[in-house]
Order: sequence, then C-alpha cells, then structure tokens
Amino acid sequence: MWDEQFEALVRSHLPFLPPGGELAPDLDMRQFGLDSLGVVDLLVSLENTYGIRLTDEVLSMDTFETPAVLWQALAEIQDAAV
Amino acid sequence: MFPGMGPSGYADLGKFIVTDPRARQLRRAADRVLGYHLMDLYRAAGPDYSEYSQVAFLITCLALADRAGHGLAADPVAVAGPSFGGKVALAYCGVLPFAETVLLTVRLARCEEEYFRSEHRDVVTQSVARTPEPVLREVLDGMTERHEWHDISCRIDEDFHMVSMREPNLDRFLRDVRAAGGLPLYAMRPPMHSPAFGALRRKAEDEVLGDLPLAAPRMPIVADHDGAEVVTPGDVRRMLLDGIVRAVHWPRTVRTLRALGVTQICVSGPDSLFSRVRCTTDNFDVIPVSPRTALRPVPAP
Repeated sequence: MWDEQFEALVRSHLPFLPPGGELAPDLDMRQFGLDSLGVVDLLVSLENTYGIRLTDEVLSMDTFETPAVLWQALAEIQDAAV
Repeated sequence: MFPGMGPSGYADLGKFIVTDPRARQLRRAADRVLGYHLMDLYRAAGPDYSEYSQVAFLITCLALADRAGHGLAADPVAVAGPSFGGKVALAYCGVLPFAETVLLTVRLARCEEEYFRSEHRDVVTQSVARTPEPVLREVLDGMTERHEWHDISCRIDEDFHMVSMREPNLDRFLRDVRAAGGLPLYAMRPPMHSPAFGALRRKAEDEVLGDLPLAAPRMPIVADHDGAEVVTPGDVRRMLLDGIVRAVHWPRTVRTLRALGVTQICVSGPDSLFSRVRCTTDNFDVIPVSPRTALRPVPAP
C-alpha cells in the first residue's frame, strides 16, 4: 500500500473525488478529473517528492490509469535506485 | 480567449446548451440556418470533431463569453482564439454574423472531412509534454535521417508540442520521446496545421472562404500562428487560411497579448490546455468560464 505523501498528491490532482471519498487502488483517475495536463503536473510533483526521474515505457498515460498502477511504477523505480 | 477544441461529445456540452438561456437562443438560430435540429444529431454523434460537435462548441463558447462579459471589471482589449477558437472569435468580434459563422464552421468541417477522406489518411498529430524544443529537435532529426516526414503542428508551451507524422512511424517516435524523458499524451485524427496541407488550404479558399464577405473585427484578434494583430478583413481571411498550413505558436500569441498590456485572460469555453500551460499562467491572471463553472449552483445569499 502507498504512503501518505502519495495519497495526498494523487488526491490533489483528482478534482472530482469528494474530500472524504475513498482513493481505491483501481479507481479510474481519468473519471475523477485527471486530464492530460493534470498527468503532467502530477508526474513532476511525484518526481520532486520522491527524488526520482521517470523515463522510457513508464512515461505513458497508461501509468496514470489507477493509483495502484502508478504506485507500482513508482515502487519499481525506487527499488531499482536502491 | 476562445480555446482550441478537444473532443466534445453531447455529455460534455449538451446539458449547458439546453439549459443556458443564451445558448438556447443561439441553438435555435443555428437550427434555422442549418435546416436540421442540431441537438438531435449532436446527441447521436460520438465524442469527436463532427460538424455537430463543432457548432455545439461554437455555441457554448459564445454563450459563455456573454456570461463572462457581464462579470468582468473591464472591457476586453483583444481576442485570442488558438486553432478552432479562431472561428469563435469571428462571431464575437463581428467579422461575421452568428448565422454566417455557423455556416462557415459547417462548410469548413465538411471541406476538411472530404479532403482527409482521400488525402493524408495515415497522418496523425501526437502531443508530447516535457519536451523542450532542443530535446524534441533531436528526436525529429532522427526522423529526418530515416526519411520520415514530420511537422511540428503546434507549440503550446516551451516544452509542450504537437507533432504530425505518418502513423507507421508513431511507435518509434513515442519510444524516442520517452527515452528523452518526454511524456506522450494523445494522438489526434484528423491532423491539422501543417504545410503539407496546401491542397486543403486551396480547397478551403476556393469552396468556402474565397469571396465570403468579412467585416473588420471590432477589436484586434491575435493570430495563433505568428502573434500578429488581425485588424482588417484581409488579415482575417489570411489568418483562417494560413491556420490550415501553419503551426499554432501559442507563446507568440502570449507575447503579443502582453505587449498589448493584457494582464487578465477570460477563457470562454471548455479548455484543458492553452489556459493551463505555464506560459499562460505565468503571464496572466486566468479566469476560466466553462460549462462546468457556469452550471455550478450559486449559493443562496
């Protein structure tokens, strides 16, 4: 499961998710307002927060489909960096 | 500012058009000139760039501008309309009456549809973020070396572009962009704004725009490809035709607006692009007026 920073960052990019609404792992983030520019902004925020840089196949709109997919991608990059 | 058009289905704009009084009025006027019930056909169309979606987008933007006009502290000094927004600017600035703008929109849509039915069928326009021009240039140089045709169709920000190319070359392009740290977003079909579409420019001039009587805009329209101030009917005609073959260059439009003393932009229409990129938000106070903000319930006093 993801950490609090991730939860807060992702939530702040989902304008249609009610404040008390659950951020389910398989939530369709597009349906909750994560559009193209939102993805760009979230990407930069995640990179700055976790001190990582996403490249290659991770840089795809598919990576930002659900919180679970996104967290998995981040976790793999962080593991690879250790 | 009237935004460029994204895919706009009935679910996006339908509710606003049937409930907003000004939009309803414009829709009735559009029905009269089109000879069909716009909303019936719009509802049945997909979330794409059909002529119905284009007229619905036009109506939405103009009705929102009307709303915005009532709430603004000052009168606008200039209008910008990147890509499709240029057509909305015509009606707003009095270059064409609304009914004529509807006809122009539909005729141009049909002209483009007919053209792309047989020409450039394999061309797509891909948007890429986080690609400053030197980075993108390297990727494009690789395409040039491989003799793969490409054009930058839109510069939205210093690091945000749209590139047109043949579809079979798209995968390699996406791979190279990602390897350079760029983020590919979405592909548009049909493509627009490329020097390769000279025949479409001629067709649009011959069949739609050539002798259409245009008036001078009541305030300058800032051209989306070079940032020039469009003030005469001839300028307007050139802007519309050149828009087919010249890339949109939003940072140039921003520079002209700044030079005109603009500090605040009211964005009349659904937009998730031009009003949100850094070169816009760094330079202006942005007031979005979208169907979503317009339909939001007003709290009781």
